[in-house]
Amino acid sequence: MYSELLHALPEVLTFANFMAVIVGVVAGIVVGAMPGLSATMAISVLVPFTFGMSPLVALGLMAGIYNGAMYGGAIPAVLLRIPGTPAAVATTFDGYPMAQKGQGGFALQVAVVSSSIGGIASAIALMVLAPPLSRVTLLFGPSEVFWVAIFGLASIIFLLGGNPVKGLISACFGVFVSVIGSDPIFGNDRFTFGQLEMLDGINIVILLVGLYALPPVIDLLEVPLKTDGVNGSKLGTEPIWRALPRMKRFWKTWIRSSIIGIWIGILPGAGGSMAAFMSYNEARRASRTPDTWGNGEPEGVAAAETANNADTASALIPALTLGIPGTAVAAVMLGGLLIHGLQPGPMLFRENPDIVFGFMWQFLFGAILLVLLGGSLATNSFARLLNLPRPLLGSVIIVLMLIGVYSIHGRMFDVYLMLLFGAIGYVMDKLKFPLPPVVLGLILGGFAEENLRLALRIGRGDWSILFANVTSLVIVALTVAVIVGPMIKRLLSKDGKTAEGN
Amino acid sequence: MKHILAALAITALSAVPALAEFPEKPIEIIVGYSAGGGTDVMARTVAKFLEKELGNGASVIVKNMPGAGGQIGFTEVAHAAPDGYTLGTFNLPAALALTKDRKADYNAESFTYLANFVDDPNTVVVSQSSQFKTLDELLASAKENPGSITFGLSSLGGNDHFAANMMADASGAEFTLVPFKGAAMARTALLGGHVAAGTMALSQTTEFKNELRVLAVLSEERSSFRPDVPTAKELGYNVNMSSLRGIVGPAGMSSEVSGVLQDALIAVNKNEEFQKTMAGQGNPIAFADGETFRDIAKSQDNIVGALWEKTPWK
Repeated sequence: MYSELLHALPEVLTFANFMAVIVGVVAGIVVGAMPGLSATMAISVLVPFTFGMSPLVALGLMAGIYNGAMYGGAIPAVLLRIPGTPAAVATTFDGYPMAQKGQGGFALQVAVVSSSIGGIASAIALMVLAPPLSRVTLLFGPSEVFWVAIFGLASIIFLLGGNPVKGLISACFGVFVSVIGSDPIFGNDRFTFGQLEMLDGINIVILLVGLYALPPVIDLLEVPLKTDGVNGSKLGTEPIWRALPRMKRFWKTWIRSSIIGIWIGILPGAGGSMAAFMSYNEARRASRTPDTWGNGEPEGVAAAETANNADTASALIPALTLGIPGTAVAAVMLGGLLIHGLQPGPMLFRENPDIVFGFMWQFLFGAILLVLLGGSLATNSFARLLNLPRPLLGSVIIVLMLIGVYSIHGRMFDVYLMLLFGAIGYVMDKLKFPLPPVVLGLILGGFAEENLRLALRIGRGDWSILFANVTSLVIVALTVAVIVGPMIKRLLSKDGKTAEGN
Repeated sequence: MKHILAALAITALSAVPALAEFPEKPIEIIVGYSAGGGTDVMARTVAKFLEKELGNGASVIVKNMPGAGGQIGFTEVAHAAPDGYTLGTFNLPAALALTKDRKADYNAESFTYLANFVDDPNTVVVSQSSQFKTLDELLASAKENPGSITFGLSSLGGNDHFAANMMADASGAEFTLVPFKGAAMARTALLGGHVAAGTMALSQTTEFKNELRVLAVLSEERSSFRPDVPTAKELGYNVNMSSLRGIVGPAGMSSEVSGVLQDALIAVNKNEEFQKTMAGQGNPIAFADGETFRDIAKSQDNIVGALWEKTPWK
């Protein structure tokens, strides 16, 4: 297998195939940086055009776009508190406060370096560990995946913000939105009001754009002449080689977040946003100064951005070996592969080694190129965006949002829905309801429900199926540790204090 | 009589330029699923070759209108003007099953059936590591302990589901049905040992020859893709179920236009390069012309209707 890996390399390095990766990365960064336009969308638009391309040019473009977009999403997340892609929500937590403190440039540099490291780790995992990791995927049946979802939901505790009641209301709203549409087992309509457009449920991008992008834009326009706050001259940009030494201390987070991202990637149906959330929480839990998190801790940006790139290539492991895409983007990519007669499955690696392994190399190169292209693009050009007059910036973003949401399914219904979520988001923002629990509730609520019900069907209604094997029990133990651990810690430290007092 | 003949001749003559002119603008093929799915890839492949066969610089565009399990796309085609410029992909039995289990603004009569390309028979399949070596062993176990055998399906109300129901009917066994989100998820659960068996389409098994054991194919004759696998009929269970994908237009198309399209689609099927591309994408081709396709649709409509009457799934 490793000789085949090397054998595929020369083909990847030919001019056209390598250029495809470069063009893809740049296009990906641009698309990711625009609120409303996502990697999924960019690649769906690309798929029909790949008919006439040679396979490695088509796949190189896709690999580049995927890598680039996962970083690009961080740019508006840091500068405007608007996540450019669903996976960049966790990047706003510390990225935006950093920008307000005048460290926006450094935040973007941390983001690009971390993204690149996550992407490289993921590509290497895909190259050398795809077959064994696909066996890990097989261990996760419905009951195991259900527990993973619960593990993720448990981390909502850390996202509640200052007011737990408001945080829980937000989370419940997210779970409620996940219920809309036809139910995952029988297909009965729930809260669709007879609208065919609602049958498939609410697309996460529609909710995200409305909730996250509209309120900050309204903010921009409310005070059109305000000139303080973040601006280009206060970004604090410096050459990336001078910023690198300041990032050395993130190495533990980089390793941890890469592993989390890769692991979430190989689980069917989870995706980049879950990877970023989980890795952010784990990094914060491990931190010695958890109080600085949420107020502009660069390590928070590193954690989120490493993980959302670390699940890119690894999401292709189940996609290529089993035909189950780990993310929405991987699902579209499968179509691109199919067009070139590449059918997922164990045979794929034997029948078309040059293309499959070439595709993996392209992922690796895409991740490496990210630092070179993203580093200069982001700090030198995109960040200057903030020097635009506020009314102009606001209206450009609104146009992008409308186009992006319309293009998901090509219908106005989604645009109206997005505006509705925008109104809800605006009110929530003013009343200080935290937004992240909504996103997590939507992603994980539906995920948990579907897998719980599948597990119970397999167990014919017997709940003991949920505890029937070792994999489940390990995840249950982890979940309990996450919830109970901090409480015990706090109790112990209190005891210690009282003992000293006596 | 002479007058009638003359009139006929005139209409025939005047029809010639009309025929030569079609298509004078781009033809749209509406796909009710997202770009990159199996149906979408088939539509794009057909579109590419259809352009060539229609000639005259014809252009055929694929438009994705995903949503509601394909229903949004099927409805759009059914309600389009029958001028030949709006066509759509048609998936059986899915498209007609939707008209039984929910309110739909179309039925089997709403379409002009132009050509079917793919006919992918369902199977009864277990994992290679399964204790069941034959269909009879599997069914015997299911009868001995009703409900103990779990079947992973791609969804309820799809061909996988109907295949499992028809197998249960024919054998008198009782299965526990577990509807996943899509065939690949069901296959993964089967490979991971989370469900005991499946009824996925044959094309879903071909790339997993060493991992899956196909016990029976649910078709009239053995499939040329897996001639080693017996049909259920050979084994004593007369069950036929498959997934079909073809091209339709709205009902009420003029015979000239539908004739041009049908002839071009027949020519597409005869193109060797087309056959090669489709096979590379794992599509088992079983071409049926418009009339045959219409008959298949009607009989599928009856089968699905009867299944819904007997064992409604929601």
